[in-house]
Amino acid sequence: MNLSAPELCLLMAALVACLTLGSLHLSVNLGLFAIETVLIALATAFMGGITGDRELYVIALLIFCFKAFTVPLFLSWISDKLMAQRDIGSFLPAPLSMHLCLILFVLSFALAKEIPVSHAAGHSWPGASAGISLLLSGLILMLARRLAISQVVGFLVIENGIYTFALTQTRGMPLMVEMGILLDLLVAVMVAGLLIFKIQKNFEHIDIAQLKDLRD
Amino acid sequence: MFELLSISLIPLAICLLCAFRVPNSTLRISITGLIWLKLIIVLFITAPVFYRGNSSVSLFTDFGIDRLSASFVILTNVVAASSFSHAALFFRNEDKLGRLTEPRNESWFYFYAALFLCAMDFVFISENLGFMWIAIEATTLFSAALVYYGRDKHALEATWKYLIVCSVGIAFALLGTILFFASSQFYSSAGTLDIRMLTNSAKQLQPKFVQLGYIFCLLGYGTKAGLFPLHTWLPDAHSEAPAPASAMLSGSLLNCSLFAICRLTELVKHTDHAVLATEVPIIWGALTTLTSSLFLVNQMGLKRLWAYSSIENVGIMLSAIGLGAPSLFFLQAVNHSLAKVALFLLSGNIIQLNGSKDVSQIRGVLTSSPALAFTLVLAAAALTGMPPFGSFISEWLILLKASDSAQVLCAVVLILSLALSFVAISVHVLNMVLGSPKQVNKLSLPFSSVLVPILLCFCSLMLGVTGLAQIILETL
Repeated sequence: MNLSAPELCLLMAALVACLTLGSLHLSVNLGLFAIETVLIALATAFMGGITGDRELYVIALLIFCFKAFTVPLFLSWISDKLMAQRDIGSFLPAPLSMHLCLILFVLSFALAKEIPVSHAAGHSWPGASAGISLLLSGLILMLARRLAISQVVGFLVIENGIYTFALTQTRGMPLMVEMGILLDLLVAVMVAGLLIFKIQKNFEHIDIAQLKDLRD
Repeated sequence: MFELLSISLIPLAICLLCAFRVPNSTLRISITGLIWLKLIIVLFITAPVFYRGNSSVSLFTDFGIDRLSASFVILTNVVAASSFSHAALFFRNEDKLGRLTEPRNESWFYFYAALFLCAMDFVFISENLGFMWIAIEATTLFSAALVYYGRDKHALEATWKYLIVCSVGIAFALLGTILFFASSQFYSSAGTLDIRMLTNSAKQLQPKFVQLGYIFCLLGYGTKAGLFPLHTWLPDAHSEAPAPASAMLSGSLLNCSLFAICRLTELVKHTDHAVLATEVPIIWGALTTLTSSLFLVNQMGLKRLWAYSSIENVGIMLSAIGLGAPSLFFLQAVNHSLAKVALFLLSGNIIQLNGSKDVSQIRGVLTSSPALAFTLVLAAAALTGMPPFGSFISEWLILLKASDSAQVLCAVVLILSLALSFVAISVHVLNMVLGSPKQVNKLSLPFSSVLVPILLCFCSLMLGVTGLAQIILETL
């Protein structure tokens, strides 16, 4: 099987996402998230080279500047401010969740092979498998972590997975739509960041598992 | 282009007013005026769709309205106008009770509510699935600020839950949208996200992607609409938000995501796999209605009660969508929004009067404020579908249509849950209205405090006794 450059980048990004689950240190998690997103931006640029679509270069640049650079920096600034270095972890221990994630990485290959792929340039099933794998790692990250910052990272990994899926199955959404999605994402991270500060101030912790006053 | 600008002009003006630290008393009056002006502008923009022969108007590339979306835009703006007008009174009472600890919070409320309204308008007028998704995510972000109004622990918890649950849910809707886009690339290499073009070429779309995309969109937008079991954020957010914000969340936000589901259901109904778009919404709608009516029985929070009743109505509307009747869906949405906005606004005053959100603590509203009690009973009757009110007609028509379809069992479930919720809501409301008051804050409520709710109930009544429902069904 010959993998093209974007596919290789995306599969590496999916592996990096699996590694994210192996560590409970927030700084490691954020660093790995940044690497993962840089790989995705690279894949986007390579894809632009293959299909000759200039919009993809713009999108790659935007992803590199905002998602791979600003967002992790913002989140690590918050964790420094709140002196939160380590996640407590949830019912799933870190090594176990990493292995589970690697198993899902393999399973997503089987799943992606079932996806109908058109023969247009750039469409590929290995890329789709990377997308599905990223999505699942993000979900596990959200389930297996308790700190609010890790929840946001999990959400961002899910978003990366969905973007990867779009990139390999549709050669990316139209530029305007992609920019709108990115803007929404940035605002969502900002709002979540502000809320995390307020949670720390009111509850004196940012452990989401302990927020369960409201129920029927 | 001009239409898009004029729709977003008034919300921007409101934001500017709030940003320039205009005193709250001036703010209340000017915003009430501006919001009704916005309703008039919206009526002007949407009018051509109704009276001319053409049933759709394009506003800009990727933006446009047809009769259904125009009706929803008008409904959203009516809800917003009512909520904003009542908000002026609500905040004056908060001020008197000394609960407005930080006066700036009020202008922040108007600031985000205006942006929230603008985002909701864009949900209905975008004809591009991508922009529709962006607008729906924007409604989450802006309304999160409204839920956080209370600035206490509970408000924080509700906001966090709302933001995370809805964002992750909506992310799945994005995946669904991408799948629709991918499915269109199988017949034309560029692909399209335009809902009308997708519907017209429905039979050529890649069937596997369309089905997967529909399921993901249903999950994603269903989270935002509060379908069981994805509804967990909804009662918390509705009960923690201030009353005018809860009214907007329930009366207009839920319609946004249901509208998206409606559009996609119409699309899938045009493909060869229409069964998916018929059975899944009907069964899921009936299930949602049943479970939420069970939650209504032993509900202790006043605003949580109305929140669960909203979920129940969402279930009914989803069934109407599955039955292939967008016009019935709109009719039910109008009736639900009118009654529910009235109820949330009244609940805000009742909570201010009694100083408690707990249904068991609120007694004897009739003695402490007869006008409030009278309107509450009227609005509750309108909500539960008592005969002279409009929701009776829409619920009756939906039940008729459901019993004609293949899903007779779902019709039975719907009838049972409607009956159950009627009993539950009546018991709760009568308990609150009758009896002797436990504790009452010193707060004189002028007649104007029930003016907006009474008008809303009157509209609901008009929908029931005049031929208005017939006209709506024929126009759409």
